[in-house]
Amino acid sequence: MSSIATDLLGDSPSQTHRRPMLPPVVRGLIWALIAFLVFNTLMSEVLDRMPYHPFVTRASVTVGWVAAVCAWLLGVGVWEGVVRPSFGFPTLWETPTDWRKYFMYSTDHRVIGLQYIFSSIGGFLIAGFAAMLMRLELMNQNLWVFSNPGAYLSTVGIHGTVMMFSVGTVGLVGGFGNYLIPLMVGSNKSAFPRMSGVSQWLVPAGIATVVLSPVLGQWTTGWRGYEPLASQDPAGIVFYYLGVFALTTSSLMVAINLTATILFKRAPGLTWNRIPMFAWGMLTVSLLNLIWLPEIQMTFLLGLLGAVIPFPYFTQVGSPLTYLEVFWLFGHPEVYIVVVPAFALWQEILPVMGQKSLFARQWGIIGLVFVMILSGMVWAHHMFTNMSNSQMLPFSFFTEIISIPTGFAYLVVIGTLWKARLRLTTPTLLVLMSMFNFLIGGVTGVLLADPVVNLQVHDSFFVVAHFHYTIIGAMIFSWFAAFYYWLPKFTGRMYSERWGKVLSVWIFIAFNVAFLQMFLLGLHGMNRWVPVYPAYLQPMNFQVSLFAILLGIGFVLHFLHIAWMWRHGPRVEENPWRSKTLEWQATSPPGDENFTTIPTVVRGFYDYSDDRPAVSVDVHADAPQGAR
Amino acid sequence: MGDIVGFAVAWIVTSALGELAVSAVRRGSIYYYTASNQALDGESAFGFILVMLVPVVAFIVVMLVYNMIRFRARGKEILRSQAQFYTNKVFVTVWIAISVVVNLLFYLHPTASALEQMFNGEEARYNRQDLIVNVTARQWQWLFNYPQYNITQAADANGNSVMFLPADRTIKFVLRSYDPFHTYDASAGVIHGFWVPAFGLKQDIIPGETRYLYIHTNKITSYDVNPMVRVQCTEVCGPGHPFMEAPVHVVSAADFQKWIASQQKQQQS
Ligand code: HEM
Ligand SMILES: [Cu+2]
Ligand SMILES: [Cu+2]
Repeated sequence: MSSIATDLLGDSPSQTHRRPMLPPVVRGLIWALIAFLVFNTLMSEVLDRMPYHPFVTRASVTVGWVAAVCAWLLGVGVWEGVVRPSFGFPTLWETPTDWRKYFMYSTDHRVIGLQYIFSSIGGFLIAGFAAMLMRLELMNQNLWVFSNPGAYLSTVGIHGTVMMFSVGTVGLVGGFGNYLIPLMVGSNKSAFPRMSGVSQWLVPAGIATVVLSPVLGQWTTGWRGYEPLASQDPAGIVFYYLGVFALTTSSLMVAINLTATILFKRAPGLTWNRIPMFAWGMLTVSLLNLIWLPEIQMTFLLGLLGAVIPFPYFTQVGSPLTYLEVFWLFGHPEVYIVVVPAFALWQEILPVMGQKSLFARQWGIIGLVFVMILSGMVWAHHMFTNMSNSQMLPFSFFTEIISIPTGFAYLVVIGTLWKARLRLTTPTLLVLMSMFNFLIGGVTGVLLADPVVNLQVHDSFFVVAHFHYTIIGAMIFSWFAAFYYWLPKFTGRMYSERWGKVLSVWIFIAFNVAFLQMFLLGLHGMNRWVPVYPAYLQPMNFQVSLFAILLGIGFVLHFLHIAWMWRHGPRVEENPWRSKTLEWQATSPPGDENFTTIPTVVRGFYDYSDDRPAVSVDVHADAPQGAR
Repeated sequence: MGDIVGFAVAWIVTSALGELAVSAVRRGSIYYYTASNQALDGESAFGFILVMLVPVVAFIVVMLVYNMIRFRARGKEILRSQAQFYTNKVFVTVWIAISVVVNLLFYLHPTASALEQMFNGEEARYNRQDLIVNVTARQWQWLFNYPQYNITQAADANGNSVMFLPADRTIKFVLRSYDPFHTYDASAGVIHGFWVPAFGLKQDIIPGETRYLYIHTNKITSYDVNPMVRVQCTEVCGPGHPFMEAPVHVVSAADFQKWIASQQKQQQS
């Protein structure tokens, strides 16, 4: 097969010839290392010598990092795939067809989607390992895993940052979104395949940067990187800013690509009225990303300049709260960036599993859109403990009413399930669990929105429990539902229902036992960001840790199960769930092209009142047999 | 029809059980331990929201479970559901109406009503007899100062900060974040959080600002009676953050005077 990068340029395969080359990832690492050394040395030894001339300074490490990331991107294939062709050189680059294609720059949205998924799983495992260390530490009221509180706090920061920016924001959007959206809207490509190919490689770079931050020094601010504390911290905070910059840039590019794909790449007949629910979810989160990511990037750049030059914008701006305001201005939409794809997923999966028409579809969409809009109006509910009295009433009001559009997701699902023929498969179970968990997260959110209650439970483990209910409970559970639901699409193979269900019940129990008790810990006076706490809280913390570790093991077993079935699962038919959406009309896994003939959509995808397909042509009738 | 009745019965039973559980929790203590009027107000707001939300939560949980069991597909074959409908005007209208009404209710009570209570408590005219405690947060220590009694730094025999308060008095905490021992370094200040869990409120302490927190103590108690009667920093403020705590003692008026006298003596020596 010829490379897709070549296809894009219309070169014929005969022009390409293979030069011996290192594996792209290895080459990227080597180039990055060289670039870092060269530019770091240039800065610290020549351009910006400091007293006692240390080899690594904040300025040199920043410049070295920028160079290293560029070199890394070039090394994994951007050089051959983007730079050279832009100057009119022929592409001397062949895309392998085996597993190696996942370890290099690609323009195939399905490869990119899976790469994002792998990167996200990597981030999840690393940050999850950090969580296990934290929970281990908290089993005991004294320091015993960590030697000092700064080390614990750096771990909290790495955990939160990597989880939010490489899993929460990425898993369902960069991962499943990239893979599925072109398929779901009936296109063979995404709108900007090359940009998309570049953006994925920023994720491993960003994760590595944040994880390596302790090399430069501890940072104690947690994932908010908040001023004025950040400006006191040792240099580790520099890698926080840089790593998050890489990760948010990646998400921003995903957002541009997905928005354009949904707007402009839809198959004929796929009108606004027929856009699939998951695509609606991707569209609304992408708009949230487009609005809010630039805002937080500017904030972090100012923070970075403060740490490097120093350009003390936030410490000199007059109010120490400025940083927190602009952080949460993004921070609250961010939590909806995490959870809106989950809402969309519930409404995508359940009509299929119940073989029943989607109920009150327009309310589901109105819900997604209004959650998106309102999420920008509630940021200061994170600041009830430091705002003026006059701000409390409006922010409390908007926060409370966001439950109305959120509730529409439940309205749609409940109406859809009523009198359905619901197959109790693993994805169904995980979606229902996710809905239960989010309900707990939502109810405690109503409590938190009440200022008088908030002033008691804010910054305690009550809040930690609340946001993990919305993130793990809703988003991560839905993420696993997506893995199981689309595994047959990715691989043409089926997982084991028995193992899928057993493991889902496992994580459901472990999660709820661990995190329900965290609410009680918070009410009982356990504050956040502490590796050391009063002895009376120790017994409950011990139990929380025990179940948190069981939860961690459950997640790993899920991944092992999925990985095993990826290779060894029994083969299944093309459309095992009998879905009407477009991605299931292509072969599983899709061949060289998603659709040999672009389908024409003739009716909505969620009408199960008859067997008529939603498309007018059998889209892969003439696909070559060998395509799978 | 049968399904609606079946569901309704399950829902009502679950709601009733839920309400019983919530009222049992409320008879105990949601906040575990309270030592101020403000904590009682917060606790009753918390309880009110729970009482109102029990039927809502029960509706959704019972729906999910009922649908899962009652409408599950039997057998291996994939069959379309017999019932197919795209919306139900009555259900959607009632749903939206209830969610709007519940939200407005919560906004009026407890949100606005309890806030009004809190704001009133902060009005100067109610607080002429307040005991003033200047609270200074530095990295990483609490300092308590009683200006009405000329006590510059309340400390126990070992020199550790300690706070004594009279019971049944309104206390006005004056919160500041700076380092009185290193005043030349103005940028040393970071945000801290002032929280006594048993008092039911907290407030962040912002460098360069003076903030107030009002509490009306309602019982004699202390850190030794319940560890929730302690000052605890709730905003991460660097590696010393976990260690920013100080014991609180709420004592009778007479004992408070005795403590004041002993502090004054300690200060002179
Ligand atoms: C195995 C599951 C997990 C466990 C046991 C766990 C545990 C914890 C703990 C103990 C903290 C520290 C709380 C504090 O003292 O403030 C924390 C913070 C946090 N977690 Fe998790 N977590 C898990 C998964 C996740 C996931 C999946 C996400 C998001 C996708 C996440 C996002 C966060 C964030 C944003 C913070 C705040 C960090 C900060 O304060 O800066 N966690 N987690
Ligand atoms: Cu928020
Ligand atoms: Cu602190």
